[in-house]
Amino acid sequence: MKIKPLTENERWILSFYRTSEISGALFFGRLAKSLPPGPIQTDLTKHFADESQHSWFWTRCLQTLNSEPIKLETAYQDQYVAATGMPANIMEVLGITLIFEKRVIGQYALHRQAKELNPEIAKTLDLIMEDEKWHIEWVTKALKCMENEYGADHIDQTLKRFYAADKEVYKKTVTEHEERIQGILKYRKD
Amino acid sequence: MLNSENLKKRMSEVLSVAPELVQDGALLQELVVDSFILIEMVIDLQNTFGVRLNQEDLVEVRTVNDLITTILNKKK
Repeated sequence: MKIKPLTENERWILSFYRTSEISGALFFGRLAKSLPPGPIQTDLTKHFADESQHSWFWTRCLQTLNSEPIKLETAYQDQYVAATGMPANIMEVLGITLIFEKRVIGQYALHRQAKELNPEIAKTLDLIMEDEKWHIEWVTKALKCMENEYGADHIDQTLKRFYAADKEVYKKTVTEHEERIQGILKYRKD
Repeated sequence: MLNSENLKKRMSEVLSVAPELVQDGALLQELVVDSFILIEMVIDLQNTFGVRLNQEDLVEVRTVNDLITTILNKKK
């Protein structure tokens, strides 16, 4: 079967996803290593493994489409700390993770709707989105379990703050890379 | 035991930097290649020394000594 070559913009966005998954894996891996035993350590370790696997999925997808990943210096989440301030405890880390995971699944779902989407990309998006649902589920549950310790209102306020920061980071990213992602931007609702 | 010396020792271990680099005036951002490692270190220090920090506690923290002072004040 003849493979339709990727455009440079497609190659860039898949590389951007790959870099973001690698950054997530490295962060969760380090954190999983330093946490004491318990349910959060367990789920964070699985989360780390998933992110790592996702970066492989994007690498494989690019290579199946006769391309290679672009080496990108920064990942989407690198801007988070500048925008939100540094999370200081595990509740804040999970809070920022929840907002980020929602952004990821939203972005992947948006990409999935793109017209004439390459079947290999569609397959990869579907594979990853299945895991992302679990990421949102476990982090939501973990935050719920932390309500006694941190207070439900405090967690809620923290999430609102991170959500506002994420909107800014996403807006900035879209503005910066508009030309590259215009093929899927037209499906954006906000 | 929570004291300045042990905090510096743990910082050096988590950041994988030489102990002599973890000086009072050293800027935390300059000790690491990316800020995600700082997050890991701050969480590790809390788990190791039984302290709880919030994001607001770190707003003014720039140097090793700022972080040590913040943690020691929290424990009081």
